Amino acid sequence: MADGTIFEKRGVPAASIVTAPFTRTADAMAKRHDFPGYRYATMPHPIGNLKPEQIRQRAREVLPQVLAILGLPAEAAK
Amino acid sequence: MVVKSVEELTVEDIRVARRAIEYYYEQGWTDGLPVVPPIQEFVDEFLAQTDRGADEVLVTVDHLKRSCTVRQAAINAVMAGCRPEYFPVVVAMVEALQGAGGPMMQSTTGQAPIVIVNGPARERLGFNSKENILGPGDRPNATVGRTLRLVIMNVLGIRPHEFDQSTHGTPAKYSFCIAENEEESPWEPLHVEKGFQPNESTVTMQLIRSDLHVEHRSTQVPEEILLTIADTMSYAGGIYEAPPYNRSNGCVVIMGPEHASIIAGKGWSKQEVRRFLFEHCGRAKADLRRFGKVIGMEDTAEDAFVPHTRSPESILIVVSGASNAGVSTVCTNFGGRNVTKKVEERQR
Repeated sequence: MADGTIFEKRGVPAASIVTAPFTRTADAMAKRHDFPGYRYATMPHPIGNLKPEQIRQRAREVLPQVLAILGLPAEAAK
Repeated sequence: MVVKSVEELTVEDIRVARRAIEYYYEQGWTDGLPVVPPIQEFVDEFLAQTDRGADEVLVTVDHLKRSCTVRQAAINAVMAGCRPEYFPVVVAMVEALQGAGGPMMQSTTGQAPIVIVNGPARERLGFNSKENILGPGDRPNATVGRTLRLVIMNVLGIRPHEFDQSTHGTPAKYSFCIAENEEESPWEPLHVEKGFQPNESTVTMQLIRSDLHVEHRSTQVPEEILLTIADTMSYAGGIYEAPPYNRSNGCVVIMGPEHASIIAGKGWSKQEVRRFLFEHCGRAKADLRRFGKVIGMEDTAEDAFVPHTRSPESILIVVSGASNAGVSTVCTNFGGRNVTKKVEERQR
């Protein structure tokens, strides 16, 4: 989250991805970096125990959120 | 100002004191326990114990955009219940957090800093280094250790439900400050090992995950004691199996004087003890497979021994506790390093 806000402030488009239990910390970190309301993508927890194909599926599922944050059309996924 | 003696205090005085304590709860400025209200007069008593400037920064956490000054450390030392004369130890302790803390203070692992005091300050200030070393009852140990947690929460802003992401945490996060039992240690004290003079006092800090009890009361064989300690250091739950922290663990071994005496009595140096523990802390790959903890070990033979600590130097040995039983304690950690800072006595 800190990296995401720093990138954005420097004009580098960035999208942070946070798993569900960490949204409170993510919100606090954005606020601490003077970026309250910073928009980020969320996905279910956990991810540490997923198989490679399950991780790829998670990536596909979160992609629309990431594209929206970056201001790209959904077709960009292709 | 005339300060009343304890006998002169009225019930109304006590009610007012309770109201002040409640105010700090309402502000969210406690660790869940009552604090001493840090009025300016009390803070000044602490600042008078050091030559350091009140605005001098002791530790900075860049990614949280927070730092702690000498004054802020003094405020939290008052709140934790320290006596003013403990403050030079507090200053060294907060400074040690610069290298020993870092982002791991926010980890889901919930690591706690262990604080180890060495040198003449132990005796002079009354730090416990013997019986019940990890337990309650000794004001310097309890309040200096607590000061660190209050600094982490109140000044650096690492609080539960926000920046502290611990899944469980550990009771050691309330306070974990011990002194080395230098008088009953057969080896040179920790601070001398770190390059300080015996007549200097120091604070050493290392993040740890928990404390595990080690029993062996029925042997006079060093290897049997050390294998028991190494086995405790190798418990399955302590193995973080995924990169980048897999097998980059360290450990603080709080060795009871009885164990240390038996081991050193057979001619073992501290470095030999560290080497032995390093060589025996770990598990065979086949054993790790039982737990499903073999990530990144495709090229390792099934019967190969997989070390669990990264080097002998990642094992910190401190002799502490009572000389009354064959008991030691191990405190595992990962990724972090230990830092030793000198306690600077006031010169003026």
